[in-house]
Amino acid sequence: MNFIKTLIQNLVSGPSTVSYPFGPAWTPDNFRGRIDFKLASCTACRACEQVCAPGAIRFDKTPEGLRFMMWHNTCVFCGLCEHYCPTDAIRQTTDWHMAHPVKDEFGMAIRETIVYVNCTGCNAKTLSSAPNPVGVEPPFTPEEIEQQRNLCPACRKKALAERGAVS
Amino acid sequence: MSTFTIPVGPLHVALEEPMYFRFDVQGETVANVDIHAGHVHRGIEYLVTKRNIFQNIVLTERICSLCSNSHPQAYAMAVEQIAGLTVPPRAEYLRVIADEIKRVASNLFNVSVLAHLVGFESLFMHVMEIREMMQDVKESVFGNRMDIGANIIGGVRYDITPENAEYLKAQLDKVEPAIAEVTKIYRTNGSILGRTRGIGVLSREDAINCSVVGPVARASGIEYDVRLKAPYSAYPNLQVPVHTLKDGDVWSRAMIRLAEAATAIGIIRQCLVQLPDGPTACTSERPAIPPGEAIAKCEAPRGELIYYVRITDSPRPERVKWRVPSFMNWDALRFMLKDAKIADIAIIVNSIDPCISCTER
Ligand code: SF4
Ligand code: SF4
Repeated sequence: MNFIKTLIQNLVSGPSTVSYPFGPAWTPDNFRGRIDFKLASCTACRACEQVCAPGAIRFDKTPEGLRFMMWHNTCVFCGLCEHYCPTDAIRQTTDWHMAHPVKDEFGMAIRETIVYVNCTGCNAKTLSSAPNPVGVEPPFTPEEIEQQRNLCPACRKKALAERGAVS
Repeated sequence: MSTFTIPVGPLHVALEEPMYFRFDVQGETVANVDIHAGHVHRGIEYLVTKRNIFQNIVLTERICSLCSNSHPQAYAMAVEQIAGLTVPPRAEYLRVIADEIKRVASNLFNVSVLAHLVGFESLFMHVMEIREMMQDVKESVFGNRMDIGANIIGGVRYDITPENAEYLKAQLDKVEPAIAEVTKIYRTNGSILGRTRGIGVLSREDAINCSVVGPVARASGIEYDVRLKAPYSAYPNLQVPVHTLKDGDVWSRAMIRLAEAATAIGIIRQCLVQLPDGPTACTSERPAIPPGEAIAKCEAPRGELIYYVRITDSPRPERVKWRVPSFMNWDALRFMLKDAKIADIAIIVNSIDPCISCTER
């Protein structure tokens, strides 16, 4: 019988299970796990909020600025937010260790605020979001990003035009 | 002999999915069967109209776990038709690779469950272990074991790098001989043959009358495969062998699925050889989608899957409707279950690989 052969082969090759949680469990580099958010890179374009099917990402206005909120327990790990984010501000890590006691439920979220600043060009109140890098040639230098961050949309446009960039 | 009625389902030890059958049996033989649906209606068609066009890529992927790549693909194809988007050649190939990887895993899953229902648990475990290699491929290349998230509107959102191409090839080299070996077991093993040969027969005429699709049709001698009849993505450039068998019994359906798993590996290899360079999506941002309506279809592991999408001025589609393969195939169960033995009911039902989650959505 063929299967006897298969059975013996499987006996020789040993168990294929891993001893997690007592040993490590293999995680590939491309694994789509827990969301990570880098406030400094966020342009406040809200693309991630618009593509997130379960509504795990929400932006709301607070007196201090625009608040980014992301609920880990609502996320379905689809990765669309990462795909459409122009600056990689939001991305998925390989972390899948997300079991937690119920009492920590409301802590399973990211809450960060893109604060209001006064535009260094015209002094208007504006969001200190990162500039959108799409189509900007040559690409922004780190200094320029910091400079842009403190400008209002109109002054950002002006600065871009002066620099001879197309956007 | 006395006649009595037995209910099977919606929750039943031997059924993989919540279907409800009422059998009139005479002694041990099924005389009549009533199939009732509607136990796991989740209202996804309604939900789709409450999400925007881009969110729905994710929602449609979650209609069915085993055909999880085919749903967003057909949906994306319909939306691309409406918007007149051209998917770049590399993305077309990547779509085929994703589709065929899912097909291998999905087919192996179905034949392993057959072994489980026959009571051959060690074979069940063995086939599941082979499938596990494909699960590892999905996890490594796409980042998830079931919802691989390959498609976006206008292309794909994963890429095959030289490293993961090597990994993929290495895994295929392991899976291919393993599938050949289990095919031999399914072909010759007495326990399998005894429980599946001549069981749940669907004749060619009945198959045509029920308009069955996918492996169920091909096991009854109907040469119908969307990949050939209406080639999409990169399929026109690929050699896609179609397998058919004449008997239309449970065994034939299992053999078709094993043969298709094996040829899917061949198709992935062809794609890796032919894979053109270039972008993986027509735009890196969200393309504008004008109003319109379209129909798209593709060959899911279980058979032909049709999507209808209608979009108006709103960012949300007005209507998305899908016709899933199980919807066509489960009517044929009436013919397959005629004069069947009670003990064979679960095996016959499993042989069409019914997917209630997508049929009742
Ligand atoms: S991975 Fe998907 S579900 Fe999770 S936050 Fe991003 S878009 Fe939302
Ligand atoms: S930059 Fe990225 S994280 Fe910030 S709002 Fe846009 S998509 Fe979201």
